[in-house]
Amino acid sequence: MKISADYDRCEGHGLCAEQAPAIFELDDDAELVHHFDGSDIPPEQLAAARAAVTACPVAALRELP
Amino acid sequence: MRRRHEVPVYRPDIYSPQAILDPYPHYAKLRELGPVVWLPRRKVYALPRYAECKAVLLDDKTFVSGDGVALNPVTNRLSRGTTLNSDGEDHAARRARVANRLTPRALRAMTDVVERQAAEIVDTALERCTVDGVEVAAALPMSVVPDLVGWPEEGREHLLRWGAATFDVLGPLNGQAIQAIPDGLGMMRFAHTVAKRRKVLPGSMGDDLLRAADAGELAHAECPALMIDYLAPSLDTTLSAIASALHLFATHPGQWQLLKDDPGLIPNAVNEVVRFESPLRAFSRKVARDTEIAGTALPAGARALVLYASANRDALKWDDPDTFDIRRNAAHQLGFGHGTHGCAGQGLARLETQAMLRALVARVDRIEPAGPPEWARNNIIHRLGRLPIELIPA
Ligand code: HEM
Ligand code: SF4
Repeated sequence: MKISADYDRCEGHGLCAEQAPAIFELDDDAELVHHFDGSDIPPEQLAAARAAVTACPVAALRELP
Repeated sequence: MRRRHEVPVYRPDIYSPQAILDPYPHYAKLRELGPVVWLPRRKVYALPRYAECKAVLLDDKTFVSGDGVALNPVTNRLSRGTTLNSDGEDHAARRARVANRLTPRALRAMTDVVERQAAEIVDTALERCTVDGVEVAAALPMSVVPDLVGWPEEGREHLLRWGAATFDVLGPLNGQAIQAIPDGLGMMRFAHTVAKRRKVLPGSMGDDLLRAADAGELAHAECPALMIDYLAPSLDTTLSAIASALHLFATHPGQWQLLKDDPGLIPNAVNEVVRFESPLRAFSRKVARDTEIAGTALPAGARALVLYASANRDALKWDDPDTFDIRRNAAHQLGFGHGTHGCAGQGLARLETQAMLRALVARVDRIEPAGPPEWARNNIIHRLGRLPIELIPA
C-alpha cells in the first residue's frame, strides 16, 4: 500500500505525524515530510499509516492500492 | 433501497429549547434508529452516526455547501460569499485566503505570546477565590482573535454576542434564531463599515484582505464576508472548548491528575474535550444529485444534517463513548468537521486551548466545582453559559 500526499491541500496540522511518526514528519518550517512518498509502506507501519490518513483533518492524504 | 416512507422518523424537535440544552439523549435515540433518520419538523435527513457523517464530509461533490449549511433558507441566502458556504474553485480560493494566516505554520510566530497571555489569565483567576469558568475561558480568544483579524477596538464589546447570533441563525428558523437576527445583522453591518472605512489594524489579516482587494485579487465587496469568516466562528467555539475542559477536569479529578502527571497528554486531551462536548453540534449539506447513504435513497435537493456531536459519541466508532478519557486516541473526532471544509481555524483553536491547559497544569493543583453549571442556549454552539469553579493553587 502507498499513501499519496496532496501538498497543496496540506495545512500542516500535524495530526498525521502524531499518528505515524515513522512515516510523516513536519520539518522546521512546518512543511510536511512524507518518508514513503511513492514507495510502499512497511507492513508493520500499515495500521499507523491508515490512522494517519483518516486523522488528517483536511483529507490531504490518500491510500493508494 | 429504502425510500423516504421507509426511513426511520424521529418526531421530537432536536432544536427545541430543552433539546439544545441537553442534546445527547436525543442523539442517542437517533443513532439507535439508524444511519439515516428523517426529522419531519426540520425536513432533513439526520446522520447521527460516525461513518455516514465522515463519508458525507468527504464527498463534497454530492453533498454541497454552496446552497448553505444552515437549516433555513434565509440564512443560506445571506451567507453567500463565505468560505463555509461555497464549493469547488470558489471555496478553494476563499479558503486559501482565510487559511494561510491560520495554519500552524503561520501561527508558530504567535505561540509565545499566546502562552504568555494564557499564563496571565490563569494568574489573574487564581487571585480570586471562586471564578466563572466561562469568563476565564472567554479571556484568551477575546485577547487573541480580534487583534489577529485586525478588528478595531471600538465595537469589540459586541463581538461575543454578535458571534453567537451569527451561529444561532444557522439553525432552523425557530424562536432562538429569530431573536438572534438583529445581532446577526449587526455583525454584518459593522463588518461592512470596517471594510469601507478601512478601520482594520495594520498588519492584520483584515489588512491583508483589503490590500489584496486593492491589488485586484478579489473584489472589495467580498471583504466583509471574509472578515466575518475569521471572526464569527473563532470566539464562541474556542470559548466552548476551554470552558468544557475546565468543567470536565473539575468533575473528573482522576483525569486532571493524569494531565498533571503527564502534560504530554495535553494535545490529545484537547481532541477528547472536543469529541466529548463538541462545540459545534451540526451543519447541513444540500444533496446535489440523487444518491444513497447506507442503503437509503436521498433525492437531489434534499438536505442532510451532519451531526458532528452525535458522531463523536457513536458506540460503533468509540469504545465507551460516554466516558471522558484523555488517554483514548481521539484524533479522529469530527468536532472540527473533516475534509474540504474541515475547520480552517483548528490550528488556532488547538493552540489556544492547549495554552490554557498548559498554564493551568503549571499553576493549579485542583479545579473544584463551586456550584451548578448552566449551559447557554444556541442553535449551533454547545457551550456553557456559567461555570462556577474554584481554582486551588499548586
Ligand atoms: C474549538 C474550536 C472550533 C471548533 C469546534 C470549530 C468547528 C468547525 C467545524 C465543525 C467546521 C466545519 C464546517 C462544515 O463542515 O461545513 C468549521 C469550519 C470553519 N472554521 Fe472552525 N471551529 C473552531 C474554531 C475556529 C477558529 C478559531 C476559527 C478562525 C479563526 C475557525 C474558522 C473556521 C472557518 C473559516 C471554517 C470554514 C472552513 C471551510 O468551509 O472551508 N474555527 N469549524
Ligand atoms: S494531518 Fe494532513 S494537513 Fe496535517 S500535516 Fe498531515 S497531511 Fe498535512
